[in-house]
Amino acid sequence: MKVLVTGATGFIGRQLSLDLAMQGYDVKALCRNTDHPYLIKHKNIEPVTGNILYRQSLGRAMQGCQQVYHTAAMAKMWCRNPDDYHETNVVGTRNVLEVAANAGVQKMVYTSTCGVWGPTVKHPMSENDPRIAGFPIAYERTKYLAELEVQNFIKQGMQVVTVNPSRVYGEGPVTESNTVGKMVSAYMRGKWRFIPGSGEQVANYAFLSDVVDGHIAAMAKGQSGERYILGGEDISFNDFFNTVCEVSGKKHRLIHLPLKAIECYSYVEKLKTQLTGLRPFFLPEFAERLKYDQKYSSNKAIVQLGYRITPFAEGMHKTINYLKQA
Amino acid sequence: MITQTAIITGASEGLGKSFAIELASRHINLVLVSLPASGLPELASFIRKNFEVKVNYLEIDLTLAESYPAIFNYLSAEQITAHLLINNAGLGNWSWFEDLNIGFYKKQIELNVITPVLLTRLFLAQADTACTSYILNVGSLGGLFVVPKKQVYGATKSFIRYFTKCLQLELHGSNVKISLLSPGGINTKPELLVMNNKLKGISKATIMEPGHVARIAIDGLLKGKKEIIPGMINRVLVLLNSLLPAAVKEIIIRQRLATIIKS
Repeated sequence: MKVLVTGATGFIGRQLSLDLAMQGYDVKALCRNTDHPYLIKHKNIEPVTGNILYRQSLGRAMQGCQQVYHTAAMAKMWCRNPDDYHETNVVGTRNVLEVAANAGVQKMVYTSTCGVWGPTVKHPMSENDPRIAGFPIAYERTKYLAELEVQNFIKQGMQVVTVNPSRVYGEGPVTESNTVGKMVSAYMRGKWRFIPGSGEQVANYAFLSDVVDGHIAAMAKGQSGERYILGGEDISFNDFFNTVCEVSGKKHRLIHLPLKAIECYSYVEKLKTQLTGLRPFFLPEFAERLKYDQKYSSNKAIVQLGYRITPFAEGMHKTINYLKQA
Repeated sequence: MITQTAIITGASEGLGKSFAIELASRHINLVLVSLPASGLPELASFIRKNFEVKVNYLEIDLTLAESYPAIFNYLSAEQITAHLLINNAGLGNWSWFEDLNIGFYKKQIELNVITPVLLTRLFLAQADTACTSYILNVGSLGGLFVVPKKQVYGATKSFIRYFTKCLQLELHGSNVKISLLSPGGINTKPELLVMNNKLKGISKATIMEPGHVARIAIDGLLKGKKEIIPGMINRVLVLLNSLLPAAVKEIIIRQRLATIIKS
C-alpha cells in the first residue's frame, strides 16, 4: 500500500517513514529538499519534492496514496517571520486536507500536539479537558487552529484521526524543534548549567518510537474525528536531570535559576530580537509557561490503540547512546 | 467563613472561562451559564476535579426572556445563594453598520444590554444583605472611545458604563460592590487570535491574555474598585483621553478611520 508522509525529514516524520518502510509500505516521503541530510534512504522510501504550501506539488505527491500521515509543521521556538507559523501549520494543513479529499485518500493521521491543552493544574489532562490558558505561544495557537481545520473536513465526511504527542525525545537528530535533544546533548557536553526555579515543575516526555508506533496504531485502529494523546511519563526537571546524570554517568553541577530572573532575561531577549532581528534564546511566553506543570494522560490511546509507554529511564538510556554515537 | 458562589455568564470560552478558573483557584463555588453544546459539562468536571469547588452549570440562551428567572429559580431550588455575579456574556462585531442584518443587532443588544441589567436586578433581589455581594460588569475601552466598525458594540458598552456608574452611586454604603471592567483587546476566540496577531504597534501592545485580565479583574472586584482598566498602556490611553481636547481626538479618530477605509 502507498502512503504519504509529510514532514519526512522532521524528528517524528523521518522515523515514521522508516518504520512504515520496514513494515512493507511504499512510503512517499514529502520534503522540500530531497538531498536533506535527515531524509532516510530505504528501498521502500521514495523521496518526493514538494511543499505543503503548494497544492500542485501535494497533488503529485498524493497520486495513488491510500493513506496520509501529516506530520509537517513549524515547531521551532522562533521564526523571523511570525506569519510562518500560521502559513505552515494552518494553511499548510488545510492544503493537505483539501488535496487528500480530492485525491481519494482513504484515511489520514494528523500530528497535533499536547500544546493545544498547554498548562495543567493538578491532575494530568486528557482529551476531553478544556484548555485553561490563552494562546500566547504561536506554535500552540496555530496547531489549535489547524485542529479546527481538521474538524471542518471531518464534518464533510473525511476520515481523519488526530494524535497529540507531548514533549517528544528519542533516537533522532538534534533538530531545532527537538528541545529535549538539545538539552541532553548540551548537558553531556557540560554546556547546560541550570534548572529553572525549584525544578519541581512537571512535564510529560514521550519516547519517539512509542509516538511512531502510536501514529501507525492510530491509522489502523483510531476512530475518525477522535484525538489521542501520545505521551509518556510525567517527570519534573529535577528528576529529568537526575536521570540524565545517572544514565550518562556525567555529573555536572546545575544551578537553580529563579523564575523571576528567567522572566527578566526573556524580556531582554525579546527586546534584542525586536531591535536586531537576531534569534532569541528564550521568550517571555515560554518563561511564563515555566510556572506551570504540563501533565498529560495517554490512557485513551493505551486502551483504544494499544499504545505503550517506554519507561523514561529506559528511553533516556537509548537516547543518550544514540547521541554518543552521533 | 462561608464558601462564596459566583455566577458567570458566557463561561464556556475566552474571558468567561478565565474568570471560572480564576475564581475556582480562590476556592469560590461556581454557577456557569452558557449556550448548549459549548463545552460546559467538560469545563465543569475539569474544575471540580482540579480545584475541589462545587460547580453547577446551566446551558441556556441568555437572549430568551425566560432564561433570566430560570437561573435564579434553579439557584433557589438548589438552595444556593450567589455572592458574586460576573456579567461577562457579550457579542462583539467589527463591521460596517450596513453589513449586518437586524437580527444580529437585536441579539447583540439583548445580550450586551438587557441580559446584564435584568440579571443584576434578580441577583440583588436574592443577595444576602448580611455579607458583601459583588457584581462585575464587563465593559470595554470601546465604551469610552469612539471606534469605527464598533458602532453598536461600543454603544452597548457605553450603556454598561453609565449603568454601572449610576448603580455605584445608588448602592453607595450598602453591602454591594459593583465594578466596571474596561479591558482593551483580549486574545480570546480563535477567530480573534488570527486578527489580533496581524495588529502592529500600539494596537498590538494593548492586547492582553484572558488569564491575566481575569486575575486583575477579580483582584479589583474584591477590593471594591470602581473601574478596572487592565494594562499599563490602556491606562495611559484613558489618561490621554481625559487630557486631550476634543478637537485633537477627533483628528486622531478621523485618521484611524481613513486607514481603516483604505485597508
